[in-house]
Amino acid sequence: MANSEPIPRDQTPPSDSEETNGADEISEEGEEEDDTEYEEFEEEEEEELDPVRERERLKSIFRRLSTDPVHVRVHDVVIKGNTKTKDAIIEAEISDLFKKPRTVQELVAAASIANARLKQLDVFDSVSITLDAGPAELPGTTNVVIEVVEASNPLTGNVGVFSKPEARSWSLEGSVKLKNLFGHADIWDTSGAFGWDQSLEISTGVWVPRFKSVPTPLSARAFLLSQDWLKFSSYKERLMGLNFGLLSTNNHDLSYNLTWRTLTDPTRMSSPSIRRQLGHNVLSALKYCYKIDRRDSHLRPKSGYAFSSTSQVSGLWDLRGLKFFRQEFDLRAAMPLGFWNAALNVGLSAGAILPLGRNFTKLSTSVPDRFFLGGHSSLVCSLGGPSSLLGFQTRGLGPNDMRRVLNRNKDEGSFQSGCHDFVGGDLAVTAFADVSFDLPLKIFRDAGIHGHAFVCAGNLAKLSEGEIRNFSTERFLKTFRSSAGVGVILPTKFFRVEVNYCHVLKQFENDHGKNGIQFSFSSPL
Amino acid sequence: MGDSRSSGDRHLFLVARKPRFGLPTACPSCLPVYLYLKLANADFSVEFDSSFPDSDHIPYVEYGESVALNNEKGGVIELLKEEAILDLNAKHTSLAIPDLVSTKAMVSSWLYEAILYELWIAIGGDVAHNIYFSDLPWPIGKILHWKKIYDVKKLLGVTKVNCEEREFEIYKKANEAYEALSLKLGDQVFFFDNRPTDVDALFLGHALFVLHALPEISELRSNLLKHDNLVKYAEHLKAELQLDSTPSSTQPSSSSKDASTPSAPRRKPSSGWGSKPNPKPKKEKTEEEKKFRRRAKYFLATQLVAVLVFLSLMGVAGDSEMDDEDAVDYDEE
Repeated sequence: MANSEPIPRDQTPPSDSEETNGADEISEEGEEEDDTEYEEFEEEEEEELDPVRERERLKSIFRRLSTDPVHVRVHDVVIKGNTKTKDAIIEAEISDLFKKPRTVQELVAAASIANARLKQLDVFDSVSITLDAGPAELPGTTNVVIEVVEASNPLTGNVGVFSKPEARSWSLEGSVKLKNLFGHADIWDTSGAFGWDQSLEISTGVWVPRFKSVPTPLSARAFLLSQDWLKFSSYKERLMGLNFGLLSTNNHDLSYNLTWRTLTDPTRMSSPSIRRQLGHNVLSALKYCYKIDRRDSHLRPKSGYAFSSTSQVSGLWDLRGLKFFRQEFDLRAAMPLGFWNAALNVGLSAGAILPLGRNFTKLSTSVPDRFFLGGHSSLVCSLGGPSSLLGFQTRGLGPNDMRRVLNRNKDEGSFQSGCHDFVGGDLAVTAFADVSFDLPLKIFRDAGIHGHAFVCAGNLAKLSEGEIRNFSTERFLKTFRSSAGVGVILPTKFFRVEVNYCHVLKQFENDHGKNGIQFSFSSPL
Repeated sequence: MGDSRSSGDRHLFLVARKPRFGLPTACPSCLPVYLYLKLANADFSVEFDSSFPDSDHIPYVEYGESVALNNEKGGVIELLKEEAILDLNAKHTSLAIPDLVSTKAMVSSWLYEAILYELWIAIGGDVAHNIYFSDLPWPIGKILHWKKIYDVKKLLGVTKVNCEEREFEIYKKANEAYEALSLKLGDQVFFFDNRPTDVDALFLGHALFVLHALPEISELRSNLLKHDNLVKYAEHLKAELQLDSTPSSTQPSSSSKDASTPSAPRRKPSSGWGSKPNPKPKKEKTEEEKKFRRRAKYFLATQLVAVLVFLSLMGVAGDSEMDDEDAVDYDEE
């Protein structure tokens, strides 16, 4: 989509120069000044114009427009070019913007915002906003002309390879979008993701920027997800359900999720803790997320702070679904160090899940809803609760239970690499400190390739099934796992690559921490 | 009552489906296992599972670090016997064994099929729903119920074309089994040598389910009621084993079994009995193969990173897209 600047347009015949954009005709309040200017303009026109003087004159006009309060009022908003998109959709996006401006400067700023909002709808190839002169009988007014070019090809698609905190490894993701099918700037998409670990997700959904009286975007999505946790927790997970986005603004997100979840163990090797969790469950949950990100960049932040809080209440269906309350916090801060373009990023995140119901301290929580730490997702980029701990395998630490033991036929070997199931924790805390810096070579700096050194720590604890009575803060702090390392980050057009060397500083029995090089692929956006 | 071998002071955990209809567990697959443990005077606790009605590994018995699943090696009872944990047949003479085996085969096949047909196809939804799906949300229970009916029809070979014929065949075999068992039992307390065997556990479970769980319109129930001695046998043992009282049990969600803490594992690997699962999909790789694969992965990843670095360095302009693309720059000049 081409960017388009808001352009004041001439009402009088244009001058010789193409750069005359009719700034002369925007009249200030006070007819005497207008007449004076007009006469001056006519006089100037009659003369043979010197190009240098003409440029100077235009510069002074624009300088006046940008600095002096040139009063103007919007008379009308005209929308052109929308054959499929409803006028009401476009008007709803921009209606509040053009009521308040009283000066040209404010109007131009409002037009910029309107331009950005319309482009965010993602259904137009280009958007241009022109400030035209208002009716001659209404001086000091302007008409805002919005010209859109609807997407010539409503079908788009993309493919990428990413690594996510929740997944065991990398995944190939692709999506196909159909835009503006019904003219409500609706976007229909179907996406699929296939993971290295044979996880599979297929989903289809629709997103609308507004629906009837609801001013915020709404979405609805149906999904089918299959994930294989056999290696770490001896179960496979299949989820099928619906997700509804009820409220979505810059900072707030409210959604409802209705999911049928099935846990199975085809290997029959699971530990008693996992074996008792196998079966069918319904997750009927309301999730609220508050996020504020004041960092200057979410890929390589050098200043600012970010905070997110996610609350989830499950058990809204009836008495037979999963009932729990889950809360996550994540706080980040970045500060420049003043040398080598370096910055220090620190973060602290925590989460807890508790079952709801009578005698809740004795009830159990569902394993997939608990917290797991480990994996190689980026410490700095991922914002949303405790999950990443570099140096440890995915789901590689915390409470675990002994798997079923085979006591014979050792020659046939074992399917799983370890003999414990990681069952997750009800309480999770992670913290990290990361220093990013430019590399010495200019060619790396120009490409955005930079290095970083980090140290991170985290721990999990079980609180359900009566364990909350045995919980001790001192012991929890003493059993923190930690790791440190250095790495290089390569931001490319397709994905962001992190190559890290990790050294595990502290781990406990049965943890899967490992020194060595780790790769991480994440979205470049 | 009964003779158990090497149960000693060891405690067993039986996970079964929930009680109903005055029975300690209403599931016709779980009830024989429960009765077997009762007849063997085993020390066991019962836990109920209500979230996995379509599983074939329930009922199962946990013993130490090991577990006997119902979908392995012929079932829980066979596993308990094979591993010498509980063997009700141990003290029976070898002369009784052939008769015992054939009787057990008849009960396990003909009467089992009859129960399946009656519960899932003939009677209708209420009984099966109450036993298996009442604790699940309605849509899920309904879908699983339909799936189970489909699976049972496939297992029994029942189609729209041969439905009546198969029904006749199933009831005929059940009647023959009842008559044979009635003749075998006579006035005895148990089927063989006045001692309980696994046949008693299997048939008692079947009889109690048919008498108490199936409605009066059930043809299977009507056929069983024709054999007084079988009915008296079931009621007598029900009273003897005190099956009327609800067993002390816990739901799996509030099990006292805890996961281990990070400082020490909860249990050590057991040298006791265990079961071999089905053939695994992957073979154990040798150390060399593992090392080769690991090196190959690192090599490929390094190559990929090198390509990416090359592309990044050659296409520096592509990195400027990290900035905000939606910002509209207004040039004031």
